[in-house]
Amino acid sequence: MINKCINPKTVEEALDILESNGKDVKLIAGGTDLVIDLRNNKIDKNILMNISKLKELRFITIDENEITIGSGTKFIEIIENQHIKEKIVGLWKACKSVGSPQIRNMGTIGGNICNGSMAADSVPPLLALDATALIIGKNKTRSVPLRELYLDKGKVDIADDEILYAIKFHRLREKESISFEKLGLRKALAIARISCSIYINLENNSIKDIKIATGALGKYPQRENHIEKRLVNKKVDEIILKDIAEEMSKHVSKRLKGRSSRSFKSIAIKGIFAEAYKSAIKGANDESHKSHNK
Amino acid sequence: MNHISLTINKKMYSIDVEEDVRLIDLLRDQLFLTGTKEGCGEGECGACTVIMDGRVVNSCLVMAFQAEGSNITTIEGMSDKDELHPIQKAFLDKGAVQCGFCTPGMVLSAKSLLDKNENPTREEIREGISGNLCRCTGYNKIVDAIELASKEIREEKKE
Repeated sequence: MINKCINPKTVEEALDILESNGKDVKLIAGGTDLVIDLRNNKIDKNILMNISKLKELRFITIDENEITIGSGTKFIEIIENQHIKEKIVGLWKACKSVGSPQIRNMGTIGGNICNGSMAADSVPPLLALDATALIIGKNKTRSVPLRELYLDKGKVDIADDEILYAIKFHRLREKESISFEKLGLRKALAIARISCSIYINLENNSIKDIKIATGALGKYPQRENHIEKRLVNKKVDEIILKDIAEEMSKHVSKRLKGRSSRSFKSIAIKGIFAEAYKSAIKGANDESHKSHNK
Repeated sequence: MNHISLTINKKMYSIDVEEDVRLIDLLRDQLFLTGTKEGCGEGECGACTVIMDGRVVNSCLVMAFQAEGSNITTIEGMSDKDELHPIQKAFLDKGAVQCGFCTPGMVLSAKSLLDKNENPTREEIREGISGNLCRCTGYNKIVDAIELASKEIREEKKE
């Protein structure tokens, strides 16, 4: 039961409060998921601290090699970023597919990550980009690969006295691209039933590097390492997509054993995966991409 | 109890709110701005849409204390004294209102869209209202109304 609400003015003030009272504090950013949980009495903390107004957490910086997005950055702010729209297409598409305009105007990328939802839209592309989470506490900072941040369903490796500060990944260069595909039940407001994001780096028409991440196919969004291994260092022309999709399907079927969604998801992933793969290849071969990145 | 200050429909408020009060509860139950409707209470239907700091949000998903310092427009702030806003007029002219429950949210989503894009395509209009459900009209008349409003607003500006 919440009996105290705090609007800290700075990140420093927020960290001070967390240091002394962290175990009693629930952070609220966009609130688009949390307010529902609060209403359903699912939150067992008694202090609610609003971090959605902290300007220090709302930024997108693009330097020569890296892109850093502050955790409090709203989906709409990511969608409106021209570089992300043109170059980090998979992340842009994922953010654009979140909820509705109203949800995208409030919801933050940090909230999407920290909620630990299996269906979080922005997480598969960030996993495929091999993003790093920057976490801060009073007098401490640490960085964790996003793929190691998820501990269990709804649980992330961020302590009571810490805040997710930002998420960081490298800029995409020539012959690199990121794609995203999602299967929802309708266009707007759809919670992902299945999503897949693929990062690819081509060299002489071979797959030099590939990272595949899926959402809503397990306890949390995850990388599909075994499929990556099947594809890396292969000539694009020699890859039989149908066979790889079949393998993906078998793997998903194994993972979802005992769940009612198993038969549907293990078939649907084939199409979603194939679409994501094709658009990643197309993106990496896109000439306009090349000229922009010089 | 939290003390917050905010601007609603160009009027400043300084008010005490309970910890568990959402923005929609503040608007409806404390300030009696009952034009804002609560439908699903989960951010799905958009009936509770208001404009907060220039962007549409679901007021059922914002805690009241989070609105500290914000500038909010509700449906009550749309018309200018007795004169309806062009979007409201267009909704009437095109028959875009049936039961009326979704209308305040629809009108505010339309306003937010037209404030940023004064000549949207029908596709852009549909996207602009994609967070608002209407169970009566089948949406076509709403899209027609927003299209008409956009035309009228542009013409008004020319004059």
